[in-house]
Amino acid sequence: MLCATLLLLLNGSSFSQVCSLNLSGHVVDSDTGEKLVNATVTLLEPDRIIITNENGDFAFDNVCAGNYTIVITHISCDTVVRKITLSKRLHLDFSLPHSLNTLGTVTVTGLRGIQNTGFKKELSGKALEETKGLTLAEALSKINGVTMLQTGSTISKPVIHGLHSSRILIINNGVRQEGQQWGNEHAPEIDPFIADKLIVIKGVDELKYGSDAIAGVILVEPKPLRNTPGYAAEFNSAYFTNNRQYVVSGVWDQQLNRLPALRYRIQGTFKKGANASTPNYRLNNTGNEEKNFSITLGWKKEKFNTELFYSYFDVKVGIFNGSHIGNLTDLQNAIAAEKPDDVFLGENTYKIRRPYQDVSHQLLKLKSTIIKGEHKLNVLLGGQFNNRKEYDVVRSSSNTRPQLDLSIYTFSEDINWEHPKRKNFNGVAGISMMQQGNTYGGRYFIPNYFAYSFGGYFIEKWSMHKWELQAGIRYDNKTINTTRLRFNSSIINYDFNFSTVASSFNTIYKATELLKLNLNISLANRAPYVNELLSDGIHHGTATYEKGDITLKPEKSTNISGGVNFQNKQKTFQIDLLLYVNSISDFIYQQPRPLNPVLTIAGAFPLIEYRQTNALLSGFDLSSSVKLLSNMEWQSKLSVLNARNTSLNDWLILMPANRLSNEVSFSFKNGKTNSNSYIAVELLNVMQQKNIPGETNGKQDYKAPPGAYNLINLNASSALSFGKTKITIGIAIRNVLNTVYRDYLNSMRYFADEMGRNISVRVKIPFNHVYQ
Amino acid sequence: MKMKKIALSVLMAGVLITSCKKDKMKEPNEEEVITTMIVKLTPVGGGAVLQYSFDDPDGPGGTAAIIQEIVLAPSRSYRAEVILLNKTVSPVDTISNEVAKEKDSHRFYYEVQAGANVTVSNLDADANGVPVGLTSTWATGTISTGKMQITLRHYPAVPPNKAVADLVTSTKSGTDISTVDIGGFTIKIQ
Repeated sequence: MLCATLLLLLNGSSFSQVCSLNLSGHVVDSDTGEKLVNATVTLLEPDRIIITNENGDFAFDNVCAGNYTIVITHISCDTVVRKITLSKRLHLDFSLPHSLNTLGTVTVTGLRGIQNTGFKKELSGKALEETKGLTLAEALSKINGVTMLQTGSTISKPVIHGLHSSRILIINNGVRQEGQQWGNEHAPEIDPFIADKLIVIKGVDELKYGSDAIAGVILVEPKPLRNTPGYAAEFNSAYFTNNRQYVVSGVWDQQLNRLPALRYRIQGTFKKGANASTPNYRLNNTGNEEKNFSITLGWKKEKFNTELFYSYFDVKVGIFNGSHIGNLTDLQNAIAAEKPDDVFLGENTYKIRRPYQDVSHQLLKLKSTIIKGEHKLNVLLGGQFNNRKEYDVVRSSSNTRPQLDLSIYTFSEDINWEHPKRKNFNGVAGISMMQQGNTYGGRYFIPNYFAYSFGGYFIEKWSMHKWELQAGIRYDNKTINTTRLRFNSSIINYDFNFSTVASSFNTIYKATELLKLNLNISLANRAPYVNELLSDGIHHGTATYEKGDITLKPEKSTNISGGVNFQNKQKTFQIDLLLYVNSISDFIYQQPRPLNPVLTIAGAFPLIEYRQTNALLSGFDLSSSVKLLSNMEWQSKLSVLNARNTSLNDWLILMPANRLSNEVSFSFKNGKTNSNSYIAVELLNVMQQKNIPGETNGKQDYKAPPGAYNLINLNASSALSFGKTKITIGIAIRNVLNTVYRDYLNSMRYFADEMGRNISVRVKIPFNHVYQ
Repeated sequence: MKMKKIALSVLMAGVLITSCKKDKMKEPNEEEVITTMIVKLTPVGGGAVLQYSFDDPDGPGGTAAIIQEIVLAPSRSYRAEVILLNKTVSPVDTISNEVAKEKDSHRFYYEVQAGANVTVSNLDADANGVPVGLTSTWATGTISTGKMQITLRHYPAVPPNKAVADLVTSTKSGTDISTVDIGGFTIKIQ
């Protein structure tokens, strides 16, 4: 917590003669225990303002005796009100709880820009609030270096530095998300409204979650449970004009007065969108519907705390029916057409028809922490159940069955021990285990399997003065037993065992208060996934026949990255640079085999085989933030990636194009009834991806990457005060100029344009009550 | 307190749902795949019924599809019927029955190529009068050999909007069966 505003209101003060009293205090963040530095302490009537010092302390001298009401507000925290009687020298300790979303608030004075350095990039506060109603991947793509892999406008998954799917670990509230994350059109099954922060990490801390995080780890972090007796609620809603999408989300938090150890939270989200429209036509069957809820129950004592969390996620997503492809010739015809046939266009409805996906995900987690002296033991038990049903276009309208039905359950157990801080050392050691079972029904794409793994890790961090050194190592062993039952009752079994080791070394050097340097070397190993080993079937979205390879070995990544973060003394300029080189040997990728089509009754399908090669991904993310005027800021983000297939001396397919974003924002002075008002205009330039594989060995793609595009986006927000309630209203326009464009990483680019202008309005209404 | 009760009960429900171990091996059931197209030709005015197939009994992948040569007598008229099967399920599913039920979203195209001396006419139609082609009449000419392409197109849109003028390459429909990539049926009139 960076800042706090502390207001002392003088209320009905009965002035006595004693006016030489001393009122001092100490302010901390109740969730993290951090002292709140630079808090503004205002004593009204007469106005007196003091800023808390670096220890979170403040003191007023020469205060008259009397009754006062102290109101403490913090832009990221809930308001705390306390009545005091001042008759003698008094010292008060305040702990300010996080407000439900730490989000919102823009400091008019502070830089809006980057707070991320090195290998930890975070989306929280205002930036996260702007993404309310969008998918998890859309929210994450606000982070420089993160892009999206899409199937239409409703299915999107995050891409970090060109890598995605099983190369990214998504940690949902501490538990490694396990679903069918391997598929390009399998979006993460997480309600973004759960998150108080979205964090992308690389380096040493990855090792806590796995040895296979070749691209990085995404943490979806909820707000800690309430730490002040009382209750709080927050209501969020948004409406999007393009596809008439609406979202309502609510959360309720309580800590009981009589039983302060017990805290709980109930949260739920409902989202529904109709067919999306491109600038020139509306795409049929592109609606979505999402129903999510979660419950958290916490028990906290000094030496022991435990948290039980359950979440349910369910999404139904329509897939544009003009993209359902019979065979290669159909695909070529569809690509050759300038726009989809009129029969697939123009319907403005919420109704979702075939083809569609219906995916549900449940997570149950129990996390307990035992504190003994300076030792801390964490035990995390997780259970996940994921069901993915894909409903294809079928002949019989009375058929209600899914054509692909995948069920996967995962149990995980993690135990770790944080040792006491000794001589600038602190560290954590842990073991983790996982058991997983997968079954399929309908069409074959991946087999039934049972997998179990165990692993252990050790991370040590040392910091002194300007230096911080971190190192860690992890080992994992995974066994996969697969079974495929064929239609003629023959059974095909394959068993696999993989051992993987990862290690990481990170050093941070704070040259001055304003300049920070960071260097990281990480080795990661990822065992092949079941789909890479054993997929065998037609992928109707891309009209390809995908074939796995049982001889694949784990891929090995060596990632070297360096970061520089600098800001000037006046804090009007900030720059953040991350350079990276990721060398991956035995990189698993899909190699088109244009000369070996698979002939079926429906015609030919191009064969795509899983292969291994050596790859080198290098690039940089550059962000800068300049305060042009006291209320005007210019922020720019540049992301560049080169992805080479070094064995073939060629480019890798399907890598995000380079992009540049420039945003200028104006903040408005706080008024009597409005605060934190701003308006921001973003110009996003996405270049054309020209670095694509050559075609000397046959055609690698059906269509050349789409051209460069420029989008103008707008965002405005203001918090309006209605008595004690502060309602935040935001307005955003995406694609202001209704630009016609297609994106290389959206598989719909073969068929249709991207979504046109989309105006959205969002409202946030928080309530908070502190028990007296 | 009420809230707490609700929270606890929902939580318990969650525990139960999650602890239900779904370990059963589901029966693989690829219901939509067509493995076999049989063209059944009944000579008008009597004679042996002929059957020729385009067959891929294990579905996509695995062993390759086989297409038979169609041998017909010259200057004869045949009543043709198409039968579609899915042999990957047990019992074998006759998909042409489903096509017959959803005539307005299916259409067969018979494209006779140079050399084959046969004309296809009299295709059956759906309720809107648009050809379906589950049945048709084949009239042969003189002795010759050539190719014929048979294509089944499926209209996924709701409503299907199938129209007489739709070409075999129309983007309104997708391919369910195509003999083009395997080279087509050879029609031998002898």
